[in-house]
Amino acid sequence: MPDVEKPEAIPRPATNGRLTGFDRWWGLFAAVAVIIVVLAVSQPDPYWRIIKFLGDGIKITVTVTLVSYVCILVVGLIAGLGRVAKSGLIRGIASVYVEVIRGIPLLVQLYIIYFASPKLLQDLGNGLLAHGLTLGGLAAGLASFRMNAELGAIAGLTVCYGAYVGEIYRAGIQSIPRGQMEAARSLGMSQMQAMRYVVLPQAIRVILPPLGNEFVSLLKDSSLVSTVAVTDMTRRGREFMGREFIPLEVLTLVALFYLLMTVFSARIVSYIERKTSYVR
Amino acid sequence: MSAEPIIQIRGVHKWFGRVHAVRGVDLDVRRGEVVVIIGPSGSGKSTLLRCINHLETPDEGTIVVDGIPLTESKNINKVREEVGMVFQQFNLFPHLSALENICLAQRIVRKRDAKQAEQLAHELLAKVGIPEKADSFPGQLSGGQQQRVAIARALAMQPKIMLFDEPTSALDPEMITEVLDVMLDLAREGMTMVVVSHEMGFVRAAARRIVFMDEGAIVEETTPEELFTNPKHERTKLFLSKILH
Repeated sequence: MPDVEKPEAIPRPATNGRLTGFDRWWGLFAAVAVIIVVLAVSQPDPYWRIIKFLGDGIKITVTVTLVSYVCILVVGLIAGLGRVAKSGLIRGIASVYVEVIRGIPLLVQLYIIYFASPKLLQDLGNGLLAHGLTLGGLAAGLASFRMNAELGAIAGLTVCYGAYVGEIYRAGIQSIPRGQMEAARSLGMSQMQAMRYVVLPQAIRVILPPLGNEFVSLLKDSSLVSTVAVTDMTRRGREFMGREFIPLEVLTLVALFYLLMTVFSARIVSYIERKTSYVR
Repeated sequence: MSAEPIIQIRGVHKWFGRVHAVRGVDLDVRRGEVVVIIGPSGSGKSTLLRCINHLETPDEGTIVVDGIPLTESKNINKVREEVGMVFQQFNLFPHLSALENICLAQRIVRKRDAKQAEQLAHELLAKVGIPEKADSFPGQLSGGQQQRVAIARALAMQPKIMLFDEPTSALDPEMITEVLDVMLDLAREGMTMVVVSHEMGFVRAAARRIVFMDEGAIVEETTPEELFTNPKHERTKLFLSKILH
């Protein structure tokens, strides 16, 4: 029997004489870092003072972004799976969530969660108490509800970005040819098993780049939480400007720090992308 | 060969929107039989095949596979474990090596441990003639090799029935025989097979029965000898004159 083979696939050769294994955009990251250091060293007043003041805010920005992102990946996956579910009811709920949330500005959503939802929950608790329902202390808890600024911000970012990320998951899942699901099902796997072992592992490679972009967007949009009493980097910057009126210096540093973080995350995303690509 | 048919199809209809793809098909397949379904494109042969393991749900009629009726949804996975399927487009999992392709369902559906699964996978790769390709990914294999891995993947579930949906149609001509040879071996070992294919060489060598379908219905059921020497129906003659140049 003639066994006709194609030549072995070989790794793509380096193109344009570029250094392989080194991502040139790390240069931008280094440049931004150097500028910050140079500013801080050459003119410690005001730059070093500003950096020290921004420090706590940077921690909050990073924490809020990371915690939100983890929640977003989970909520987004649920929304995305809901959008491709067989059940019309589940698809409907997921679709309404996505369409409604995408139609409301993030800033307004943050306002609703921080300013409006505590009032709503308090009224609900009081209403329950008025009807003699304690629900094991739940009603009293609701009546005296106070919103924690950080948790509210994380909830707002999660709800909003969950809808966008859900669409990314959906598109990724739908980009996998139907034959993959059919082959898995024909081997006796359940819908869930086929999703988990066959479709999602392939979809993840498709959705990693847009998912990474969402992280970068989230990092930047997290500056909006400064409007709902979270002392992130942006808010710390504003506070500093309130004390000493040197907006150029403060905002230059704030912008440079955001740039440093976004360039860094974009590089990490592209690294993961390259690590997970495979021959199709 | 036991008299009781392992696949019983009774009065199956299937619509796609307004298209009536399968129109009242009755078909029995007995244990160890090799049945080849031929017919012009759009005649409903692939749809009928896909109904047997419920990749398509018949709108009317019943299908009983190995004594298990396919009407209740909880039976479907059970039937699929017993029915292997080979697709025109191979549908290998591109993110897994050939070996992992063959092991995945063994592990999570048959609950075999890694060692057992891999041992069987290596045996099956040897059986389909590419033992050296265990660690290759589908993208590194030729179409013929991919289809042979796909056959090994289906066989790893130790099915009682194998369905082949135009297994050589997507292959370059020089790779067709390597796949057909594997299928012929299976037929000789007594595997029950339902094959949608126009490979007349395979039909001659392996088919016990030929089913000719047109416009969603079975026009003629016959033996290979009868088909080539004495086709009864006009539509069968016309179709054969087109594919046997």
